Amino acid sequence: MPRFRIISIALHLLVSVWALFVLAPVVWMVLAGFRTRADIFTQPLGLPKSLGFDAFVRAWNTGIAGFILNSVLVTVASVGLIVAVSSVAAYVLARSDHPALKWIYVLIVASFAVPAQSVLVPLYQIISGAGLLNSLFAIVLPYAAYGIPFTTVLFYAFFLEFPRELEEAARLDGCNRLQVITRVVLPLSGSAMASAAIFQAVFVWNEFLLALLLLTDKRIKTLPLGMLNLRGQFSADWPAIMAGVTMVTLPMLILFVLAQRYFVRSLAGLGK
Amino acid sequence: MISGALRGLRLAGWNGAMLAPALALVGVFVLIPSVVTLAGSFFAFGITSSAWRFVGLDNYLQAFADPIFWVALRNNIIIIVGSIISQVGLGAILAAILDRGIKRGSTVYRTITFMPVVISSVAVSLIWLMIYDPNVGALNALVKAIGLRPPRLGWLGDPSISILMMLVTAAWANVGFQMVLVLAGLQAIPKELYEAAALDGARGLKAFWYVTLPGIRNILVVGILITTIGGLKVFDFVFVMTGGGPANATQVMGTYIYLQAFTLGNMGYADAISIILLLIALALGVAQLKLSRRG
Amino acid sequence: MKIGNMIGLGRIAAAALMLAAIAAPAAAEDVTLKMWTLDNTGYPEFIAQAAEKFKKLHPGVTVVHETFPGDQYKTSIQVALVGSAPPDVFFNWAGQDAARLVKDGLVLDLTELGNADGGFRHTLSEGWQDTFRYDGGIYGVPVDAVSVYLYYNKGFFDEHKLLPPKAFSELTGLCKAVRAIDPNIVPMPLGNAGRWKAIHLMTMLNERVVGQAASAADYGLTAPADQLFTNPGYAGAYGALLEMQDAGCFEDAPNATESEQADVMFSSGVSPMAWCGTWCMSDFDTAGVPYDMVRFPAIEGGKGDAGAYFLVPEGYQVSSKTAHPDLAAAWVSFLVSDAQAEKFAEILKFLPANANSIDKVDGATEHFKFAAADMASYSAGVNVLDVLLEASVAEAYLNATVEVLNRTLTPEQAVAQIRDVALKAKATAGL
Repeated sequence: MPRFRIISIALHLLVSVWALFVLAPVVWMVLAGFRTRADIFTQPLGLPKSLGFDAFVRAWNTGIAGFILNSVLVTVASVGLIVAVSSVAAYVLARSDHPALKWIYVLIVASFAVPAQSVLVPLYQIISGAGLLNSLFAIVLPYAAYGIPFTTVLFYAFFLEFPRELEEAARLDGCNRLQVITRVVLPLSGSAMASAAIFQAVFVWNEFLLALLLLTDKRIKTLPLGMLNLRGQFSADWPAIMAGVTMVTLPMLILFVLAQRYFVRSLAGLGK
Repeated sequence: MISGALRGLRLAGWNGAMLAPALALVGVFVLIPSVVTLAGSFFAFGITSSAWRFVGLDNYLQAFADPIFWVALRNNIIIIVGSIISQVGLGAILAAILDRGIKRGSTVYRTITFMPVVISSVAVSLIWLMIYDPNVGALNALVKAIGLRPPRLGWLGDPSISILMMLVTAAWANVGFQMVLVLAGLQAIPKELYEAAALDGARGLKAFWYVTLPGIRNILVVGILITTIGGLKVFDFVFVMTGGGPANATQVMGTYIYLQAFTLGNMGYADAISIILLLIALALGVAQLKLSRRG
Repeated sequence: MKIGNMIGLGRIAAAALMLAAIAAPAAAEDVTLKMWTLDNTGYPEFIAQAAEKFKKLHPGVTVVHETFPGDQYKTSIQVALVGSAPPDVFFNWAGQDAARLVKDGLVLDLTELGNADGGFRHTLSEGWQDTFRYDGGIYGVPVDAVSVYLYYNKGFFDEHKLLPPKAFSELTGLCKAVRAIDPNIVPMPLGNAGRWKAIHLMTMLNERVVGQAASAADYGLTAPADQLFTNPGYAGAYGALLEMQDAGCFEDAPNATESEQADVMFSSGVSPMAWCGTWCMSDFDTAGVPYDMVRFPAIEGGKGDAGAYFLVPEGYQVSSKTAHPDLAAAWVSFLVSDAQAEKFAEILKFLPANANSIDKVDGATEHFKFAAADMASYSAGVNVLDVLLEASVAEAYLNATVEVLNRTLTPEQAVAQIRDVALKAKATAGL
């Protein structure tokens, strides 16, 4: 089937071009970290002349380890809070037909539409007024607040389809209402949880705007700020900037490739 | 509205206890700030001054007369429309190819295409900032290597193309996500539908039109919604790559609010722009609800 | 609605405070002074050694030093000062921003505190003290001043028998001469991606063409509305900028080039000239490029005072929220004492406000001594436009300059835009 052959080759070519377009900047980022400033300036497209780690050391010394630690802490705390708080809220909303709860659901859906940009000024004033600027704890709260609406809506849809017979059976076995949630509903909601957790983790890990506003102390900056810091510190020292970005990005990429099955599946689940 | 809700809560203590944490967080960090923003938009006050002066609708009138406000709004629209075409469009095409077009290597292609999704937007901005750099950038060198002339003012320095360069970067970062979304939808379409269509004589493009597209309609709506909201909220790319420059040419609502509030110290004016952004976001949300209900 | 919200708010605030209290280090009797400065090379080293010596005089006082890149500094400092955790002491440029902080009551009046034993008012000259004087009070301690010079590569100039410019036409002539030697050499790169590099040039061009005597009323927004920024000299100054661009002085995309990239082009010998601050000396020394420096030349037919030159005083201000005003004042006074000024000049290679021991500075280069002597000889200091102008006017000037370089605005259109913004700012300020 020559016609089919030609189409197949053309399609392969098309996806290959895009794959190449995606890969090239990543490869270039890694290579740039091994080059020297003068070398990049005179030959932007050249390859590294030697495998020196100077730029990596320079970038590492800006405190990348600390930024990573801060980001891990903030992400774990925020995602934990979001999932815990949203799941119980969504469960109650999905199981009760009290009229007040309908309104609360609408309110939560509406707050999903509020962009953080549009409340920057009062958000800053509230956190500052509570004396919580420059505290990792303080940034977890708004992160959670901005993750909760979406996650609650997601769980709400999930719980509506959750088989009630299981819950009733548990009640008959003598579980109280809290135990029904913790022993029956939550353990069986793994996929929805994972989906929401991964989505929120990506959001929190990358969040930049609120961090820019609320974290100015270098010791508690998260990774996105840490990377911006690289640019502030090295300005046009591209090897050092790219070395820093590589050190932060490459582990994430490797992690992703290893776990991509779960990753892709859970994100794809959002569309359902 | 909230008072009614809370009176109901007191009647149902259990429900209240379960909902309280979510409501407290959303209330303190989303709802109350929205109301405070609305109130602030009727005042003139600076970041460092405590004196609030009531100015009525002046801040809104100022926004409508401010050419940079319109530039920012226009840029948001360009980014939204451009991203829907490039990200959802390209994502859907790639997904369709990976789903049925090719037999070998689809996992590898999918992994590579999706990869940028896990790279933080600041990192993406820095990588592309270097690619676009007029002195050390790869793009200039590539364009010169094939005998063309790069833009004299630089990829990000030329006001007529800088916003398009942002679109390219955004597409690089987000097409993978859209592709995976659509791919999941495609794989959920029962094979029998294609077989039935084939019996009716619908193959290839016709099958795509009559079977595939209706099958992923809802997914496409979700993808378009995510892209639209993302385009409305865009901040990181612009802030890191151009800071809204050259001379406000790439300013978007998010960066303009930040500039007015925290650099120029016009808090009340920033609040007014924020409310306009908020209203647009709410309107889009309602439109989406309507759209998805119809489907 | 209110009660419900307040319950929510109260609960969260209480939880927050409890956790914050747990997270915070145990309160010690020791005093901590938080200090913010720019991230210039050497600043951490200078502050660290000073803090150590200060601790000997004031046991129990620890200085926590945080540095910020220049681009974000102005924003960060405003946001921090109104926040809950402002620095006790912070760097600032003497100018419009410092004045605004004074007006909003965010910085401490140091007039009396500086008179204490060892206070800065006994070590700094009256002239220097005046740089942070607003409404009669002294609201900051000047620590140094910076200027901007035209650097040239001596090796390149000798090799091609070029001479440093004595007049503006010679400068444009030099650019043409360099391009004639090799069209690919950028004679004087202008890294304006951060927008301030060209504003430094415009500061000098405005001074050369218009002159401070005429520009002061425009800059201060005190000129009558019908005259504000109507002096044709402003467009003329932009015209001079375009003359330089037409002579091939700059690279193709100055607005997309990082300032540091431009500096590196000079220090690595790729470009023979640079328009760079006195803070560039130490980097150029380190790079080992053979250079010399001259003032920006006079412009033929210009109305400026030939002896006036670029001079931006910088210093430290004390937050009015500090819990330790006496110690904060003692600390900033200590930083400008004779011994510390000498250390400051030695480590940062900046010209200290306290020049008493300038001759004793270790490792002072010829260039440093030249700049020190030259800066003392200006007939008048010219403050940089983006520090001097009201915030919105400064923003307009920064953007207009970008557009003039991009040729998206003519000089006349650019000045008209600036004038519009200045008129609004004047009306808002009630001037």
